[in-house]
Amino acid sequence: MGIVLQQLLNGITIGSFYALIALGYTMVYGVLKLINFAHGELFMSGSYLGLTIISILIGAGLGGEALLWALAGVFIVVMAIVAGLGVGIERVAYRPLRRAGRLPAVVSALGVSIALQNAVMLIYGPRYRVYPKGVIPAIYWQVGGIQISLLQVFVLILSLILMATLYYFIHYTRLGTAVRATALDHDVARLMGIDVDAIVRIIFIIGPALGAAGGIMVGLYYGRINFTLGWGYGLKAFTAAILGGIGNIPGAMVGGMLLGLFETLAAGFIPQGGAWKEAIVFLILILILVVRPTGLLGERVAEKV
Amino acid sequence: MGKKLAAIVTLVLALAMVISACKPKAAEPIKIGFVGPITGKWAYEGEGMLKVIKLLAKQVNEQGGLLGGRMIEIVPCDDKGEASEAALCGDKLAAEKVVAVIGSYASTCTEPLSKVLNEKNILQITPSSTATVLTEKGYKQFFRTCFLDDKQGLFAAEYFIKKGWKKAAFIHDNSTYAKGLAEWAKKYYEERGGTTVLFDAITQGEQDFTPMLTKIKAAEPDVVYFTGYHPDGALLLKQGYEQGIFPKIQFTAGNACNNPEFIEIAGKEAAEGVLVSTEPLPGDLPYPEAKKFIEDFKKEYGEEPASIWWVMAGDAFKVIVEAIKATNSTDTNKMAEYLHTKFKDFPGLTGPIIGFDEKGDRLGTIHKFYVIRDGKFVPYE
Amino acid sequence: MSAILSQLKSLDRRIVYGALLAAVLLFPLVVRNDYWISTLVFFGIWAILGLSLNIIVGYAGLFQLGHAAFWAVGAYTTAILNIYLKVPILVCLPISALVAAFFAIIISRPILHLRGDYLCIVTIGFGEIVRLFLYNDPFKITGGVNGLRGIARPSIFGLEINTPTAYYYYVLFFVIITILIMQRLENSRLGRAWNYVREDEMAAEAMGIDTVKVKLLAFAIGAAWAGVAGNIYASRYTVIAPETFSFWNSVVMFCIVVLGGSGSIPGVFVGTLGMILLPEVLKSVLSPILEWRLLIFGIAMVVMMIFRPEGLWPHSRYRLELRREETSS
Repeated sequence: MGIVLQQLLNGITIGSFYALIALGYTMVYGVLKLINFAHGELFMSGSYLGLTIISILIGAGLGGEALLWALAGVFIVVMAIVAGLGVGIERVAYRPLRRAGRLPAVVSALGVSIALQNAVMLIYGPRYRVYPKGVIPAIYWQVGGIQISLLQVFVLILSLILMATLYYFIHYTRLGTAVRATALDHDVARLMGIDVDAIVRIIFIIGPALGAAGGIMVGLYYGRINFTLGWGYGLKAFTAAILGGIGNIPGAMVGGMLLGLFETLAAGFIPQGGAWKEAIVFLILILILVVRPTGLLGERVAEKV
Repeated sequence: MGKKLAAIVTLVLALAMVISACKPKAAEPIKIGFVGPITGKWAYEGEGMLKVIKLLAKQVNEQGGLLGGRMIEIVPCDDKGEASEAALCGDKLAAEKVVAVIGSYASTCTEPLSKVLNEKNILQITPSSTATVLTEKGYKQFFRTCFLDDKQGLFAAEYFIKKGWKKAAFIHDNSTYAKGLAEWAKKYYEERGGTTVLFDAITQGEQDFTPMLTKIKAAEPDVVYFTGYHPDGALLLKQGYEQGIFPKIQFTAGNACNNPEFIEIAGKEAAEGVLVSTEPLPGDLPYPEAKKFIEDFKKEYGEEPASIWWVMAGDAFKVIVEAIKATNSTDTNKMAEYLHTKFKDFPGLTGPIIGFDEKGDRLGTIHKFYVIRDGKFVPYE
Repeated sequence: MSAILSQLKSLDRRIVYGALLAAVLLFPLVVRNDYWISTLVFFGIWAILGLSLNIIVGYAGLFQLGHAAFWAVGAYTTAILNIYLKVPILVCLPISALVAAFFAIIISRPILHLRGDYLCIVTIGFGEIVRLFLYNDPFKITGGVNGLRGIARPSIFGLEINTPTAYYYYVLFFVIITILIMQRLENSRLGRAWNYVREDEMAAEAMGIDTVKVKLLAFAIGAAWAGVAGNIYASRYTVIAPETFSFWNSVVMFCIVVLGGSGSIPGVFVGTLGMILLPEVLKSVLSPILEWRLLIFGIAMVVMMIFRPEGLWPHSRYRLELRREETSS
């Protein structure tokens, strides 16, 4: 029993990462009907940037408590930079193609993904990079037979805060309503006086920022990052978004958690599950799209008839 | 417009091809080729091997070259880790009239490459392809400086038995090299009375090893032998340490974890006391060439050579140079003959190279266990 | 004056094509360089792959980013039949094509109704599942991470195709056949049906076209041809491994079709030229900056789509479609 609970805890932690990244996909898709292939790479860039800044801080002599407080700053800075990157990408690679049809948009998104991944590789090198140890102290608690680490608590709480903030924004603010309106119909939204381009920019700020936060957390949690990280997480997060219902924000959160849980349980209890993890995730994706394409919480996007 | 452009591009390409095909080849420098994954999944290894080879070539040239002043020219070719590219590289290097080729990295690339090179009578030494089949084709000019996995497996198995570890878990990552090593180790271990409680694989590049660690914990081995690559081994170790599984259970690893990054990723505390089976590190060899090599590499590239395969590539290069010197020629038949018969006890960077057998495999076995103490690899008994 | 010019133009085209054909036929005899001949063989195999994907993406307008899976099915079918059952390579050829087509029908049937982007993701998923299957090798026949080795070479009436030059003409033969068949398809009823489905599926249904059957056929025929390419590839390099059938290579195939010019046969050749031949030719020039190759490539993809989304040598019909969509809204 203890093992199952432990795996559940792990599953939720991983699920938080997927949820944060999935939110980025779902928001962009909801408004633009575009799969932002580059999103996974933005997540990965976040984790590299986080590494750089934390290393600089440590190099400048920061440590212990001071470093923990500085961590908040690190998150904000990295999220801002990656958000800027996201907006830039939208402006350069996606906006000119908004009317050009699906195919060119997909190719462009793929191109951005490849370019970004390799840019990071060229800057940081192809080797694995290691996050400094003990930024978040390695404290463990034994609760009812399972081990919880401070790191896990940190990840779960921070993810919860970010997701709750986003939910509040989307559902209880005027700007959030404008976002939802644009997702429903660009032209009508424009008629209502909403600046669609500005909304798109906001989407590309929030989505990548959340992804970047996830990236830093992955770096802190696992300690080891690589420029190929974006690909694996990206595809799984996208599956999570579809699982929850693409375009649906609570759906992305739920989808992410579920996927994390499922993946961990499958790997832990199916023989040789570890090797087939990715295949299972893809199968889930395909099954959902075939059986229930609107996802668990229902697609919030009108189907093109 | 598109058609004209395409026509022009085609013509230019055709012209370029014809020109480069007709270019007269300079006969002066001695060309040694390198085929490896300079880009792609294994770029880390390919790039590193090339760095080592280039450094060694530079040193030979600075000392006046070979055969009365001829300079060595390294001709690299990127095979991107794919069989078809490796074959193409073979053709390309043959067209450039190389004397010998070091490569490739993965057995799946080395094999088609060896077919091409054998037809063109070019000497080939692979630093890292351990697939047994490669030396069973009767290619007279094919050699390897790496050991077949059975030697290292035997060494590890005997050591475990000696230490009284009656139950062992063997973890690999499904790659030829790791799986082969794990299987040989398991075989020899069981032959000597050991019990295998777990034989399983992780996925390369995986981030979360909790499932595997849970299995290990449940199997209760005395020792774990991880035969995969260092980024995965380190993370497995780190997570296992955090969960209290290691060092209660002794963690050991094969020579692909012989890498300072292993300690960096796992963290000093987790890595303390871990044993790694490997060819001796160049710094620990009793002859000065090896130590000097580490210093020179550090001076040139600002880091120590980070993977055992890089150093193996260096040995491949040295073997070729030695063969050229000893036969005073670049005749590959003579060189191969020499390497099969008269080449003995050469001070290599991965230990003394005792010689090659008639199939081209490296003779002898020189593995040791290194223990990690205080963040460094130290020879153990 | 203009009459003379237009006469010249049509003469021009025939002379150009004739000269091209002669150059292609005589190449190995004039340039006796095994490396370049082998490179062209490689090019030929990829051209066949590009043409096969062109059916699915170019003609039928279906997003397929997992085409390497069909290539893999063809290659592995050949390898398994040849290594374990000693079936001669040329006999494996039609079998591989059929197996690939069959496989395509099975996996595409449940997903045919999906909209563009979704189809895209699902095909990526299938591609990866196939590759993982080959890699993990649950039934112990795919050779796992090491792949399969020792595949024989094809032999025609006892004559084995073994040298680069022999392979050149062998592959050239297949390329020409493929072009001819593609041209036939393009102008057939099926080809026209594909066009309707690509342009407006609902209208096509309304006109009585069985869109399901048409799309299935696109997948099946495209897969069959990829299977042919797989057979040729397997016997040429005698070793196949899961690495080759990666998502990345599916992307390369996709780009060959889209960047070269969707739906057009010369476009596919231009695409293959740019994606396969050009990097090979530039290898020596690029060697100091080899690692930049992919970055440049990614940027090039974006730039191409912004400035010339219809590709370098598009089918005139497709260019009209794209430009028309742009101006309408």
